[in-house]
Order: sequence, then C-alpha cells, then structure tokens
Amino acid sequence: MSATTVRAYSGRRSTMAALRLSFLQFMADPQWLIPSMIAPVIFGLVSFELFRGEGHYYLTYAILGAGMMSMWGQTLYGSGWATGQDRVFGTLEPTLQAPTPYLYVVLGRVIWNVASGLLGGLIVYLVVVGVAGSPPAVPNPVAFVLLFIFVMLTLAAVGVVFAAFYVYTRYAGFIQNIGEFAFYVGTGCMFPVVLLPFWTNPIALFFPPTWALDALRYASIPGYPGFAWGFWPDIAGAVGTTAAYLLLAGAVFRRVERHVLEVGNLADY
Amino acid sequence: MAAVSAYRPSFLRTFWTNAVFAPRTTLGFMRIDFVLGTIFVIPLTQMVFFAFVAQLGGESVAFTALGNAVATVTYSSVFSVCQTTDSEKQQGTMEHVLVSPANRLALYFGRGILPIGISLATVSVGLEYAHLFFAVPIALDQVPALAVSVVLTAFAMVGFGLLLGGVALYLRTSIILGNIFLFAGLLLSGVNFPLSALPVPLQYAGYTLPLTWGLAAIRAAVGQGTGTPLGVLWGAVALAGVLSFAAAISLWEVFERRALATGSIARF
Repeated sequence: MSATTVRAYSGRRSTMAALRLSFLQFMADPQWLIPSMIAPVIFGLVSFELFRGEGHYYLTYAILGAGMMSMWGQTLYGSGWATGQDRVFGTLEPTLQAPTPYLYVVLGRVIWNVASGLLGGLIVYLVVVGVAGSPPAVPNPVAFVLLFIFVMLTLAAVGVVFAAFYVYTRYAGFIQNIGEFAFYVGTGCMFPVVLLPFWTNPIALFFPPTWALDALRYASIPGYPGFAWGFWPDIAGAVGTTAAYLLLAGAVFRRVERHVLEVGNLADY
Repeated sequence: MAAVSAYRPSFLRTFWTNAVFAPRTTLGFMRIDFVLGTIFVIPLTQMVFFAFVAQLGGESVAFTALGNAVATVTYSSVFSVCQTTDSEKQQGTMEHVLVSPANRLALYFGRGILPIGISLATVSVGLEYAHLFFAVPIALDQVPALAVSVVLTAFAMVGFGLLLGGVALYLRTSIILGNIFLFAGLLLSGVNFPLSALPVPLQYAGYTLPLTWGLAAIRAAVGQGTGTPLGVLWGAVALAGVLSFAAAISLWEVFERRALATGSIARF
C-alpha cells in the first residue's frame, strides 16, 4: 500500500471518526445547544421588537441575524473551543502526532457544528416566526434556504481559520467572548454593512459571511440597500474569500504540524 | 478544649479574606485581560450593535445605547458570580466551605466585592461611551444622582448573581442559568425598548429582575425616566439587592443542611 493511499484512507476515516465523536458528545450532553441558542433567540426577539412597524421584510433581518448568531455559537465556538479542549485534555499533541493531518479532524468537527448550527437556526426561525405570528415574506424560498446554508458554510470557513490560529494562543476564549459583538457588527449580521462608517467597509469585506449575507438579503428583501455591486459580485466575493480562508487554514495547520515535529511539544505558545 | 472556644474568625476577617482570595480561587477565571475586555470592549461593541439595529428599526438610538451601557453590567455581576458555584465544585473546595465556621454573610459579601468593583467600572465606562458616541445627554448636576443609581445597581446585580449561584448549587452546571439571565435582561428589563411594549405577563417577569429597577433609576437620573420619583426607584433597587443577598444565603443554608443530613453534596 502506498503512502498516498494510507493518507487518503486515514484522512477520510479521521474525519468520520471526529464527526462521530462530536455527535456522541452532543448526544451525551445536548444541553449545550441551549447556551448557544439563548442569545440568538433573545437577540432575534429584541430585533423583531425594534423592527416592528417597519414592514414585513424586516422580519427577515431579524431571522437572518439571529440565525447567523446561532451559527456563530455552534461553529466558531465549537470549532475554536475544540482545540482548547484538546489542549486541556492533553489530546492535542497525540492528535497532531498521528499520521493523519489535523485538518481532517477539525473538518469532522466543523461538519457536525454546521449541522447543529442549522438546527439552531431552525429553532431561532420557529421561535421568531411564532412570536411574529407569520413567516417572513421571502420572494424565493428555495434560493433563501440554499443561500442560508451557503452563509453557514462561509461561517464554517471562518471557524476553521480560528481553530487553526487557536492552536497558537491561550486566549481563544477571550477572543471569542470579547470579539463576539465586534464580529456581529463587522459582518452586518443584523443590518446592512453599508450603514456602518465607510472606513469600516473594507475591513468587513475580509470576512466571507459579509459577502454571503449581503447576497442572501439581495435575494430575499426587495429594495435591499446593500453593496452597490449587487447579488452576483457578492456571491463571487463570498466564494473567493471562503476559498482564501480554507487555503489559509490549510497553510496554518501544516505549519502547526511542522512546528510540533520540530519542537516536540505544543506547550510553548 | 471545649467546642465553644474553637477558633471562629471575625466577620471582618472573613469578609476581607474572601475579598482578597476570591480573585485567585472561585473568580480565578476573571483574569486581567478578561476584566479589561469586559470593562472597555464589550460595552462599546454591544452598544454599537444595538444602536445600529435601533437605527434600522427607526427607534431611539440614545434610549438603546443607554440601556445597553447599563445592561453590560450582567457580564461581571451575574454571569461571573453565578459561575463561582461551578468553580467550588470543580476545584473540590465545596466541602471545605460547608464545614467552615465562617460567617456566611461575610463570606459571600466578601466574594462579591471584586464583581461589584468591576460592575461599577463597566457601567461607568458604558455611560461615558453613551455620552461621547451616542449623544446621550448627561449634565454635570445629574452626576451625583447617577452615581448613587450606579452603585445601587451594581450592588443589586451582584446580589442577584449570588442568588443564581445559590440556585446553581442544585444544578449540574450554572452555564445555562447564567446564559438565560445574562441575556434575558435585554428583552425583559427595558434595555432596548420600553417595558410597556411587552405583553403584560412578560412585564411582570421583567419587574422581578433587579436590572429593570436599576436601569429605571439610571434613566430617571439622566432625565429619561417615566415619572416615578428617583427615591422610590432607589428604594426598589436597594430592596432587590437585599432580597437577592438574603435569598442567596437562605439557599446556601438549605443546601448545607441537606449536605450535612445526607453526607453528600454530589446529588444534584
């Protein structure tokens, strides 16, 4: 059996094993869905109240924003925190020493977090729609669902990059907690980014979800005042930045693995 | 040696020891970066977020900014204090606290000193942001009344955090409880919109939260009140704080009696 074959088999198996383990951990203690759901549901309801009277399409803003927050909770916390947990449990070095690239392990976790994030988004949708009394007016429901999943994937790409960098920092929890609202503001999760001061817009465009959310709102809110370039450039920007994030994550993970082999431990960070 | 002559630390000693040691033990997760972020970063980003949401919804930005400036107090006062119970369980020190002869009021109040200080700083910085960046008018002659409102609010909120920590004694983890009350205030306490916009049952729920009264007192101090005299609101905030501390200590006493009766603290 060639080395390439071993690597491919090992990678797929590792991803599936990480996915299975994430699922089992979730099932063993599903209450962890609740903390990441409380904030999005409450933010969704607060936004709905603030948007009340502004028109039916504003319900879409509240649901999209709260759904994205739920995904933030599941993907960014889940993916990022997993590395911290590996460090606490002492499994980070053994995992990195295994012949399978660490990226495959993270990938399995991210897949599960995307799935549970979508579940969270569904719960947010049901609660906000239940309170509002009617579903949001969406011109094309199929496109809405597909683009919503696409937004989740762009968030997952951010989560993978965070997970890669968290190997090198002991401030993962700090960054997540302190940066939470900054990320919500910077990506315009509850309002168009163009409302922010102009100098912030280029910074916001570094994040794939900014592009994807703008595209989603163009597709679901008639007269949406987003970026002047419109829907398709938004899609292209989202795909491009997501690809760049994944390449960056791959590079960082390879660097981490080389670092472990060179130094022999990950205690110095 | 007779049991009555056993060493019993004074109230002040217990209070001070806990005030000094809590940041290194049960509140050990509150590192300096965490504290600085809580005081300086979270209020600004949270206020910016809700200010833009309010702007998009055509609501008053000043009202929302002031509400969120005060609401950020819950991070240090409720969420952090609530987690001290988990810290005791995880560090294996719960048994030692339970058999200690230390005065319970001094013990818990001493542990609340650091969060009260951080809460004061958080609200003060938040109010400064509200004034500087969101055009919330705060006149110089309003500052004394505002200071009294802020101190009472911080005291009451930490008491509420200790109360939740007491409830968390009977739970497997305080995380869920902490999360619920960390964010419930944003909906039920008149932070982002007047309480009157909520259905009546939710308004009653809001009135049970110290944040509602503290925020009402702070709004009244800067001229955003609804007509209730400031003295009445101060009384309500103080009462909420005293009741919270009393209820927290009662919960701990019940838990202690159960622990002594069953010989276990592991049943939760």
